[in-house]
Amino acid sequence: MAESLFYLLIFPGITFQLVCGWFFEWFDRKLQARFQRRVGPRWFQPLADLLKLFSKEDLLPSGANEFAAAALPLISLGAVLTAGVYVPIAGFSPASFEGDLIVIIFLLSVPTLAYYLAGIISAGIYSVLGGGRSLLQFFSYEVPLLIALSGPAVMAGTWSIREISSIQAEMGPFVLFQPIGFILAVVGLIGKLKRSPLDIPKAKSEVVAGSLTEFGGVKLAIWNTVMNIQAVVGIFLLVNLYSSWSGIVAPVLAVPVFFLESVLMIFVLSAASAVFARLRIDQLAGLGWKVLVPLALLQLLVVILMGV
Amino acid sequence: MFRTAMDRVYRWAQKNSIWVLSFNTGGCNGCDIEILDLLTPRYDVERLGIMAEASPRHADVLLCTGPVTRQARSGLWQIYSQMPSPKWVVAVGSCSNTGGMFLDSETVLGGVDSVLPVDVYIPGCPCRPEAIIEGLVNLIERI
Repeated sequence: MAESLFYLLIFPGITFQLVCGWFFEWFDRKLQARFQRRVGPRWFQPLADLLKLFSKEDLLPSGANEFAAAALPLISLGAVLTAGVYVPIAGFSPASFEGDLIVIIFLLSVPTLAYYLAGIISAGIYSVLGGGRSLLQFFSYEVPLLIALSGPAVMAGTWSIREISSIQAEMGPFVLFQPIGFILAVVGLIGKLKRSPLDIPKAKSEVVAGSLTEFGGVKLAIWNTVMNIQAVVGIFLLVNLYSSWSGIVAPVLAVPVFFLESVLMIFVLSAASAVFARLRIDQLAGLGWKVLVPLALLQLLVVILMGV
Repeated sequence: MFRTAMDRVYRWAQKNSIWVLSFNTGGCNGCDIEILDLLTPRYDVERLGIMAEASPRHADVLLCTGPVTRQARSGLWQIYSQMPSPKWVVAVGSCSNTGGMFLDSETVLGGVDSVLPVDVYIPGCPCRPEAIIEGLVNLIERI
């Protein structure tokens, strides 16, 4: 009992996820600032932003559904925190079971659907536009992402993330066998996190702030936390699936290597944001269905043929 | 006891995280370009926790530029009332402070303080980015 509470509240659970989320936001903003030759935010910036938003008045436009506006960010927060508990941290996962990869993929999609609903119920033109765009983007990146993520599972012959990550000790990190799949998964992750260059649903110069335009105060704070934790869980998931070194290097080095790889992933995401310009929604749909899906199917075919 | 401690924490957070919405009430765009300078590498205000936001619901500070014209008055008031409190208003540039050289025009009501309560006035036509940063730091010290 005490052990499960510790797992839920402290280590792979809420506290650890929150701290990682703050670190992610700070490191990402700092990196992007350095890419643009700026100084960037101070180390406590995400915490100050969060507390500031908690101290603000809670306003919604008339016509918005207050219950849904309060429930949707909480549901998303619950979904991403639950997903965080199932992702192994350097081989440590207290709640692993066969098929948890599918559960995590589903749980990480919940915030996107909630984001769409938040746009619809908050009664603003920009929110509705942002919500519609987020759903259209969802249909573009999700299919190649799913096919790409099934590559490691097919190769390892199991749908449990811990098994996939531990079998790489014998077979070698999967990123060596599935480089295309890894790149597709990174692109899909960028789309899932709605980060630049795939920040179509919340493009500042087009739809103000997308679905979250009408949200302020505590609700916005929870939404920001959801986005950060979603990013952290997605990064941990990709590191586990594609480049798990925990069985290869010495046990002492497993944890540092795991976090080093995660930091490198943040670096990749920030560099992509800083280098590429935003795609139009039709460009993204074309890219998703004409380029990414065929590539993902090709990668899956290669994986299956390698296993035969 | 707990309440005052929380208030102090919140005040610290408000000082260190200022999200800014800029609104042109009918000016010549000169001050807006100076405001854009704040985001560039030379003046980078993100190191002070200041961030440009596009939605009034996310903003803490309304940076107004230009004299308030009759047409812009209702829009200005609407934007201000959409911002969740605590919120502050900064008048950037001479036009925004007093109406400037357009004060006698029949379509101009005057400075921003003819519509909204203003916390900080930053003079200049257009004001330098350093002046805007100093004004914002003054505001931060008074929070």
